[in-house]
Amino acid sequence: MTAPGAAPAGPTLEARVREEVERALLRNVKGLEYFSADVPEMGLTPKDAVYARGTLRLYHYRPLAPEVYRVPVLLVMSLVSKAYILDLTPGQSFIEFLLRQGYDVYMIDWGVPRPADKRLRLEDYVLDFIPDCLGRIRRDSGEPDVSMIGYCMGGLLAVLYQALHADGPVKNLACFTTPVNFEGMALFSQWTDRRYFDVDRIVDSLGNVPPELMYASFEMLKPAARLAGQVRLWDNMWNDDFVKGYRMFDRWAADQIPFPGECFRQTVKELMWENRLYKNELVLGGRPVRLDRITVPFLHVMAEHDHIVPRASAADLVGMVGSADKKELLLKGGHVSLVAGANARGRLWPQLDAWLAERSV
Amino acid sequence: MAEPTSPVPDPAAAWRAWLTQSEQQWNAFLNQVMGTDQYTQSMGRTMEAYAAIQKNMAEGMSRYLGALNMPTRTDILTLGDRLAMIEDRLAGIERMLAEAGASAAASDGASGAGLRPPRTKRPPSGVAAAGDGRVA
Repeated sequence: MTAPGAAPAGPTLEARVREEVERALLRNVKGLEYFSADVPEMGLTPKDAVYARGTLRLYHYRPLAPEVYRVPVLLVMSLVSKAYILDLTPGQSFIEFLLRQGYDVYMIDWGVPRPADKRLRLEDYVLDFIPDCLGRIRRDSGEPDVSMIGYCMGGLLAVLYQALHADGPVKNLACFTTPVNFEGMALFSQWTDRRYFDVDRIVDSLGNVPPELMYASFEMLKPAARLAGQVRLWDNMWNDDFVKGYRMFDRWAADQIPFPGECFRQTVKELMWENRLYKNELVLGGRPVRLDRITVPFLHVMAEHDHIVPRASAADLVGMVGSADKKELLLKGGHVSLVAGANARGRLWPQLDAWLAERSV
Repeated sequence: MAEPTSPVPDPAAAWRAWLTQSEQQWNAFLNQVMGTDQYTQSMGRTMEAYAAIQKNMAEGMSRYLGALNMPTRTDILTLGDRLAMIEDRLAGIERMLAEAGASAAASDGASGAGLRPPRTKRPPSGVAAAGDGRVA
C-alpha cells in the first residue's frame, strides 16, 4: 500500500522479469509473422481522379461528413516523395481526419516522373500545373475560393505559386516544413558545393535524378538511424502498433521517386547555390518571386527535430510573407512524424483544424 | 502526478537510453565527417563516376541490343511516351465528356455538386486558433 503523498511504487523485480520474458516470447512469435506478413495497404481513402495530365492526378476525396465547409482544401505534395504519406491506414490518415472534420479535400499527386518529364522546371509546376488544378477545383466544387496546404517541397511550390498569383483563388495558405533559406540546409548545401558537385553532368547524363540517389541522400542525413531503427524494431516486435507504424514509414521512406532533371538543376543552382528565393532574386517565367506579395492568411508549421528541413532553413518564411494574418507553430516531432502517425494525430492535425476551420466559411 | 519509482534498476530502460544516445552521437560524428570538403569532393567524384558508368552502360547496351535486333530501353520508353500521349488524349476526351455532362445536368437543375454534402458547416463554437510560435 502506498503511503499518502508518496510516489507510487514501480513494478517489482518479479513483475519486471515476467514482463521481459513475455516480451521475449512474443518477439520470437511475431518476428516470424513479420517476415511473412504484408505491409499494410495505404492510400485507401476513397477518391476520384477529377483531372489527369501526364503523371499528374488531381484527386477529389469523397466526403465523410454530412456537411462540409464552404472552402475546399487543396493538398500540394512534394516532388520527391509519394503522396500516400498523408493517407496512411484508416485512423492514421491526415486526409481521413480532414474529411471527418468536414473539409472538402482535393490533392495534387505529381505521380512518378517519366523520362520525358526531365524537362519540367519550377515554372511548369508554379505557373501551369497548380493554376490549372485550381481552375479545375473551382469548376468542380462551384466555389471561388480554395485553401491550399503544402508539405515540404509541396509547401515551397505553394508559396512560389501564391507569390506569383496574389490575386488568385487561394483564400488560406498553410505550409508544413517548408524551406526558404537554403543556406540553412547545411549538409545538403555542403554536398552540392559547386566546386565539387557537377549538377550539369549528372542531369545531362541521367535525365531525371534516380530515386536511389534521392533515398541515399536522405539516409545520409541520419546515417545511424537505419541500424538503430532496426534494433528498436526488434525490441518492440511484441508491440503490434509499433511494428505497423514502423512498416508503414519504412515502406514510404524507401518508396522514393525520381526528381525531374531540369527542376533538380534549377533547385541546385538557383536555390541551393544562389539562395535566390531568400534574397528575393528568384525569377520564374520572367516574373520576380517576392514572398511579401503573399497576403492571404498564412500558417507555417515546423518540426522541432526536422533533420531534412532544419529550422534554420524554414524559420524565416513567416517573416518574409506579407500577410497580416500569419502564424508560425513549432511542434515536437520530426520531418515525417509532424504530418503522419500518432504524433501528428495529437499535435499537428487538431492545431491545423483549429486554424483552418474558422477561415473556411 | 509523481512518476512510479522502483528500487530495482531497469537494465532494459538503461539499454534503450544508451541506444538513443549512441545513435545521436554516431549521427553527429558522421555528419561532422560528411560535412568536410574532403568528403564532399569524394562524393562529387563518386557521383560523376556513377553518372558516367550509367551513361556508358546505356550506350553499350543499346549497341548490343541493336546488334541482336531487339528493342532498347529507349525504344520501350519511346513507346511508353506515345502511350502516355494517348492516355492524355483519352483523359482530355473524358474531361470534355464530363464537362458536357455536367453542363447538361446543370441546365436540368441537377448538378453534380448537388449530390455532394451542403457547404454549410460552421466551425464548432469555442474553436480557438492555435497559439503563436510555441512548442506543443
